[in-house]
Amino acid sequence: MSLIIDHVSKSFPNQNKTLPVLRDIHLEIQGGEFFCIAGPSGCGKTTLLNIIAGLEPADSGTTTWNGKRIDHIGPERLMIFQELGLFPWLTVLQNVEFGLKMKGISAKERRKTALVHLEMVHLAKFKDAYIHELSGGMKQRVALARALAMDPQVLLMDEPFTALDAQTRDMLHDELQRLWTTTKKTIIFVTHNIREAVCLGDRVAVLSARPGILKNIVSVSLPRPRRIEDHGLMEIVRVILEELKGEIEKTVRDEFHEDTVR
Amino acid sequence: MKTRFVRQILFYGILLAIWEGLALAQVWPGYIFPSPLDVLRSLAEGFRDSTFWVAIGISLRRIAVGYGISVILGGLLGLLISRFSVVKDTVGNLSLGLQTLPSICWLPLALLWFGINERAIYFVVIMGSMFSITMATHAGVRNVQPIFIKAGRNLGARRITLFREVIIPAAMPSILAGLKQGWSFSWRSLMAGELLFVNLGLGHLLMMGRELNDMSRVIAVMIVIAAISILTDKFIFGTAESHLQRKWGLETKT
Repeated sequence: MSLIIDHVSKSFPNQNKTLPVLRDIHLEIQGGEFFCIAGPSGCGKTTLLNIIAGLEPADSGTTTWNGKRIDHIGPERLMIFQELGLFPWLTVLQNVEFGLKMKGISAKERRKTALVHLEMVHLAKFKDAYIHELSGGMKQRVALARALAMDPQVLLMDEPFTALDAQTRDMLHDELQRLWTTTKKTIIFVTHNIREAVCLGDRVAVLSARPGILKNIVSVSLPRPRRIEDHGLMEIVRVILEELKGEIEKTVRDEFHEDTVR
Repeated sequence: MKTRFVRQILFYGILLAIWEGLALAQVWPGYIFPSPLDVLRSLAEGFRDSTFWVAIGISLRRIAVGYGISVILGGLLGLLISRFSVVKDTVGNLSLGLQTLPSICWLPLALLWFGINERAIYFVVIMGSMFSITMATHAGVRNVQPIFIKAGRNLGARRITLFREVIIPAAMPSILAGLKQGWSFSWRSLMAGELLFVNLGLGHLLMMGRELNDMSRVIAVMIVIAAISILTDKFIFGTAESHLQRKWGLETKT
């Protein structure tokens, strides 16, 4: 099993010119790998994830999963959005059951599967709660359970932990690594936080800003479970940040410049 | 909570006292300005000789049929408008225009088309409430947060299932507001219709009170009508609203 992103480029129309977002991205991601995509804001990492999910087409280049071309959303590649998109009119359990219901699985069967996955994220106790009754971290775990219950081959995660406080995020990092180890899913995780990327990923693809070009792929061979404050991790982060420094400054400068022009 | 209750008791007590005082002082003749006790007596009598029960039954049946049709047609039309832009640009536009027309303006037309019968009153009730339900359904569907649709599609919901399982429940708070507004429009239309054309029902009872110069009966019927409005608001729509609020975690308005 592997995901191949073969020389993908993408640009968006902006005012009356086109803004290149991704340029000639070439990546091969192995099945079962925890792969992180990191880069400053505006590097097109979310766009890249959308292309992998089949939510947006690329301008050029192809994306394939197991040799099959990706051109629409499919049940084997499931996205966890930044805003999660949990349904407030359903209970926690019904949220986790939702995808299974769409698949046409019987009520009894899907309830069983959903409960197993809620137990996996330690939320079985909250199965009858409504979404607004949960904390931010709990919502993340419901979204994880909802995605995992669908038994996808690839889990796509778009900066899911950005809005959380540091402690909750650390906890979810532990939880996600544990879930990845037990379920052996391929996870593609997008973040602007280099430390988070190095903490979670087997490999980290570093993108540059505007247009997003693949700068480097860093392998992280530290033992798991990793914590974000691990010493070895900081060293790798430092090297990447050094390399990205110019890029981040460029983004900030660009944004400042755009502001003064307006 | 307690102070509010005390205030309300005091307020209504004083109001009744002033009313009773004015009636006792005979500022106006009794048939124009009955005392609260006269009204209470009329109320009791109306229920005892079952005229009120019959009228309530007839009015409620009319509202159930008229409003029921209104909900089905209005909701369907709202969904069609949201789904197909050609329907929105044509029928949607017309609905928006018709919604502004006070429902009782349909009465002459209804009388000419249907004659003095139940169908005419249903027509007025439906015309009075259907379009506000249509518009609220459309607004609710249009304003569904895109993330719900993205998440639903991502989890395998397509077309009909996406509509049934994601879009309609996500639009429910707005749809419910439309149902409530539609209810109050249809109730008002029904009362106006019953007042203006003679054919049983609570509105007709009001008119009969007037013709018999029986003011205490008129006020008694008004109290019955207000009570039905309040009870429906509180128990049917209030329950549905608090149910939604509990699920969604919306602020409870008091």
